[in-house]
Amino acid sequence: MSIISCRDVRKTFGQKVALDNVSIEIPEGKIFGLLGPNGAGKTTLIRIINRITMPDSGEIIFNGHPITQTDVERIGYLPEERGLYRKMKVGEQAVYFARLKGMSAHDAQQELKKWFVHFGIQQWWNKKVEELSKGMAQKVQFITTVVHKPKLLILDEPFSGFDPVNAQLIRDEILRLKDEGATIVLSTHNMESVEELCDEIALINKSRLVITGGVDEIRHKYGNNNVELVYTGNALDASGSPFKVISDEDQMGRHTAVLSIGEGADTSAVLSDLLAKGVTINSFRELVPRMNDIFIKLVTEE
Amino acid sequence: MNFRNIGVIISREYMTRVRKKSFLVITFVVPVLMALLCIVPSVIMLMSKDKCKTVEVLDESGIVLPYLTDSDIVVYKDCTGIDLDSLKAGVSSENGNDAVLHISAYDPQTRNVTATVYSVKPVGIDIKEDISSKAEDAVEECRMRSYDIENLDVIMKEIKADVPVATYTLGEDGQEKITSSEVYMIISLVLTMVIYMFIAMFSGMVMSSVIEEKSSKVVEVLVSSVKSIELMFGKIIGVACVALTQFFLWIVLAIVLISVAGMFVDFDSLSQGAQQMTQMASVPGMDSVADPTAALMQATEDNPELSAIISTLRDLDYGSIIFSFVVYFILGYLLYASLFAAIGSAVENEGDSNQLQMPVTIPLLIGFFIAFYAFKAPDSQLAFWGSMIPFTSPMVMLARIPFGVPAWELALSIGLLLITFVVFAWISARIYKVGILVSGKKSTFKDLWKWLKQK
Repeated sequence: MSIISCRDVRKTFGQKVALDNVSIEIPEGKIFGLLGPNGAGKTTLIRIINRITMPDSGEIIFNGHPITQTDVERIGYLPEERGLYRKMKVGEQAVYFARLKGMSAHDAQQELKKWFVHFGIQQWWNKKVEELSKGMAQKVQFITTVVHKPKLLILDEPFSGFDPVNAQLIRDEILRLKDEGATIVLSTHNMESVEELCDEIALINKSRLVITGGVDEIRHKYGNNNVELVYTGNALDASGSPFKVISDEDQMGRHTAVLSIGEGADTSAVLSDLLAKGVTINSFRELVPRMNDIFIKLVTEE
Repeated sequence: MNFRNIGVIISREYMTRVRKKSFLVITFVVPVLMALLCIVPSVIMLMSKDKCKTVEVLDESGIVLPYLTDSDIVVYKDCTGIDLDSLKAGVSSENGNDAVLHISAYDPQTRNVTATVYSVKPVGIDIKEDISSKAEDAVEECRMRSYDIENLDVIMKEIKADVPVATYTLGEDGQEKITSSEVYMIISLVLTMVIYMFIAMFSGMVMSSVIEEKSSKVVEVLVSSVKSIELMFGKIIGVACVALTQFFLWIVLAIVLISVAGMFVDFDSLSQGAQQMTQMASVPGMDSVADPTAALMQATEDNPELSAIISTLRDLDYGSIIFSFVVYFILGYLLYASLFAAIGSAVENEGDSNQLQMPVTIPLLIGFFIAFYAFKAPDSQLAFWGSMIPFTSPMVMLARIPFGVPAWELALSIGLLLITFVVFAWISARIYKVGILVSGKKSTFKDLWKWLKQK
């Protein structure tokens, strides 16, 4: 079941096409990566999902029905271009944002206090935002995004402005929210966190959808059916074997080789061949490409 | 439109401003400054009165001296028979002789005298004028006598005329009221200034607030929760509430100040005088010609000017003035604030807004200047059209209000203003919606036009 379906969404600004009939399914309860180079149209798509801008054609289906302004209250959006009122007190400001998402002042206050305790920042409640550091303000901003328990969370570059410790804290929060049943759309250029967190992705380039699907599925699809073999002993002889040796590095008798096993080949056949040859295997693993490489490949190929 | 969200926005815009120190300062310090501005000149006048000077007079003509009567600024001392040089030698402030006045013998040729004042410190203009006018009286008298016409001085006195002008307004019920044009003028000017200040100040506040949200990047977070039009109107209404709070606090403060002042000044007796006058002027059955004359006689007897001022102030229709002020402020402010909001949405800092502001501030200024001259001819073509054209009407119409404006003109002007507001609010909302999310480059009118057409 998709929580969001974008169907043939098209948006132009004057002559410039920002989104060219993009269709994406965002499955419920998953972490969905929205990837693409700068200016590809990601922010426009996110804004359309949030009803900040309206598409020229196509529609957004939320939970099975065309999205309405009330549904937007079930979304938490952390924009890339984000900020807080500098002169306003932290607590008061957080309550304001929560109320705009439909919470009552009382509920907002209670929920926020819980979050502030959880993040260990209760003492900031009465401080003005201008007194906080950038990282501190980002924490507050994150809380204001999630306090109303959104079903769908859209996070645009959520880790920017955080040190590694706090980035890990946010990462853990994202996974916890997922466990609690929230769907998360993650737009980021950090491919490591895509591999670590995302279940599915969509890659947009030059206003078009390039690829969408499960992360593992895509990584295997763009893999070359190579395996990495670490063994000890004499150099491998590949004659009559169901694989080719692409490279073989010898480090004092410990070899690291990359074998090409060809499309649809059976890894067990490769292994039994190796064993028959009496090779001492230390490790044998499939080589899947990094998301980073796939991203660069797809974007530069276009 | 989600009115709950608008309400939440209004309350934030309102509370953050009203709790600011600057709001309290403006609310309570400005009226005090205004009051000081009224009091200070009279205090200065009072303080600047010179202490009484003594002038020794050597009158060789023999005609001027009887006219030199003492006043509270100067005392004349008869020193006839004393040598001028020795008088000059005796001039010094220490022993109470501030100056010597020498009047030459009456010259039959020119039929005049010459007066010379000798002093250590220069004498003030007040004393010079006092001497000059009294000496002129003496010489005129002397010349008059030389014609040898019997009772010429009496005739001359009878010829001298002083025509007092009293202004009355005619009510629909035929009631006549003594009025003071000066009071209308002052009220007209004050209203113009206040509404101009209010519109410029508070719509500027809306613009700064839009720019602040855009430059601090709060705006995208906001529009993910509320529609941009809700945000824009929430802001505009919130600031309007601040303005109205300030206005009503000023009225309360004015009432308090006047009643405090009332404890020291006996307004009752003053206004009773004025009341008598109006009553006399409006006794039914009295001849309409005789009627004002009687009032005039009464008025000239005590203090006509003051009575007229008090009568005018008492009879002003404060209800309709305050009502018009509130209506024109709200509509004028809404019109300008939505334009300023659109401009604010196009820039990221106040400095960049100057060029875009021009087409909006110019009509506001033009309205102010037309209004500033409207009191001279409140029913002139310029004032009439100025009070009809929506961009200038809030100021110009208010300037005309104290002089009375026909109901149809008022209704037409308010109607036009309302329609214009609706049209420009729609335009502004469209520009605003796109503008707040555009970042990076400096926007031009061409961009604004593009945004307006964007779906």
